[in-house]
Amino acid sequence: MSRIIAYKILLVLFIGTITLIGGLQLYHHRHFQTPIVAGPGVTEVKKLSDYGPGLDGTITDTNVFFLKAEQEGGKMLIIANTHSNEPAALLSSLIFLENAVVEKGTLIIIPQFNNSGGRNTRSGDGYPLYFEIKTHWGKKRFRMGNRVASPLDQWPDPDVYVHYPDRQLLSYLDIRNTNRTWPGRPDGALMEKLTYAAMELIRKENVDLVIDIHGAETMFPVTNCIVAPEKSMRIATMTSLTLKAMEGFDNHVEPSPSGFRGLSHREIGDFSDALPFLLEAPLPFLDQPTGPKTEDLLLNGKDPFLLKLSKKGKLFVPYDENGWPMSKRVGQHCSAVLEIAKQFTRKNPEKALLISNTPRYKQVVKNGIGSYFKDPSKAKKENIFHN
Amino acid sequence: MKKIILRTVIVLLMGSLAFLLNGNLLVSQDLPKADLPVLTTSAGQSPDVTTLNIVCEEAGIMYDYCDVPDVQMISAGVGLGGAESEQGFHVEMHTDLEQYPQGTGYQTIMFAIGASLKGMGASGLTVDDEVNRLKEIIKYCKENNISIIGIHVGGISKRGAPGSDNERMISAVAPYADLLIVTKDSNKDGRFTDISADNQIPLREIDYALSLVPLLKEIFN
Repeated sequence: MSRIIAYKILLVLFIGTITLIGGLQLYHHRHFQTPIVAGPGVTEVKKLSDYGPGLDGTITDTNVFFLKAEQEGGKMLIIANTHSNEPAALLSSLIFLENAVVEKGTLIIIPQFNNSGGRNTRSGDGYPLYFEIKTHWGKKRFRMGNRVASPLDQWPDPDVYVHYPDRQLLSYLDIRNTNRTWPGRPDGALMEKLTYAAMELIRKENVDLVIDIHGAETMFPVTNCIVAPEKSMRIATMTSLTLKAMEGFDNHVEPSPSGFRGLSHREIGDFSDALPFLLEAPLPFLDQPTGPKTEDLLLNGKDPFLLKLSKKGKLFVPYDENGWPMSKRVGQHCSAVLEIAKQFTRKNPEKALLISNTPRYKQVVKNGIGSYFKDPSKAKKENIFHN
Repeated sequence: MKKIILRTVIVLLMGSLAFLLNGNLLVSQDLPKADLPVLTTSAGQSPDVTTLNIVCEEAGIMYDYCDVPDVQMISAGVGLGGAESEQGFHVEMHTDLEQYPQGTGYQTIMFAIGASLKGMGASGLTVDDEVNRLKEIIKYCKENNISIIGIHVGGISKRGAPGSDNERMISAVAPYADLLIVTKDSNKDGRFTDISADNQIPLREIDYALSLVPLLKEIFN
């Protein structure tokens, strides 16, 4: 065997080994399950495929949890992990799912909306594959996902994504972005089928309020805010003013642009009777000029480069040595969701939505997110759910 | 030398005391009353006018709203001469027409002060256009005894360096107002306190924009 052939074999073995190690990590990540413990308020669990065609049997299908009170009232849908790399959404929705008791009305929760995105990672950005939240019974481990669905599940991408039904031209990547494929269609790409099924759920269940939870860069102006279209503006504004006055944190209102299509806060309102809201909490992890994208940065939001930029007035949120910890972001989301329900109830007493046993901002910051998660090893089997 | 230092310290202390008392007096002045019908509008086209409108509704104040009214529309009174919303121009009519029929002259105009280039662009205005429009409206108000309430609840994000868009909107409205209502974080540098002192305008500082609800109830009885 010549020396050149030996080198080639060695090179193939080396590349194969690297591919195998990396591939196995990604395989385990894609198939890792985080148990969700249905709390005392959960009355029914359905699949999103019950509402729209083309999802059944695919990785895109996802659990829909119903928390229905005996007394009829308003209906609210919480959507989390539309972007699976903004995990404060998932954590907030799980706090509701594992703890909330609905005294009047119905709360519907989809904690892992873009399940395909939650099983994907962002190639080239060095994302951690997992993150862990401390609880009193140990650490609860979650997958860190990606903004868009995996190409393994929806392929190929077009050169340009033509939004349905407005035919607005969007980035090719956005055809896998479930905050660009609303209102969807039953015979479109898989992510369009997903948003279509969610629209059908909203229409068939007569949902009054839809809250899509996100996170955004500190250098992006649409952060730390509630995005709302005209029809939701009154409730969003009163929520924002009340949160500032009563709980001491800013959450300004951003109007939903009518000319930018495919977004939940625009299309849900235009294609159903529901009032949509999109919550954004600051997420330093997503900013570009940061140090390594570590689990610590994700959970604590501390970064020396952002601190320097903050001192130069380049950020859109206050930022100091304390960073922007996950508990603060999750706490903000919990309070904003509860306040939207409260403001809706004030104006629509005949459709009251009363939710109890859920913490607000100060409690989450004080007690920690993990204190609201149940121990799956002590939960009844029938109360544990995986996607 | 000691005497000079002592005198300087006494003068400085007295000056500071006078300044503080002056500021407090202005802040704690009796709240002026305002009459209906009222028109809400924007000075700078920021979304803060939406906050003002929603606060009015919460306070039970029936109002007309127009984002870019001109003197002709205002002089037409309640109903703004039949103006209708179109691209880049918004009107809302909520005035109680039984009490104040169409054409009744406005008694008060509330300006939500805060600049937004996006908002001005959507209305087809430059910063200069907006300032000139405000000047004309304020001139008309002064000539026709229409009360002006200047409101700034946008905090630091709606403030800026001297001469910036936000500061130009403040300069266009605040010195001519009959009452100024601002959040504390809007007045961190004391600019509204200075305007209030220089022009003898009652100033009310509030902690949060939500505090506008009881305050407006009080102002409009």
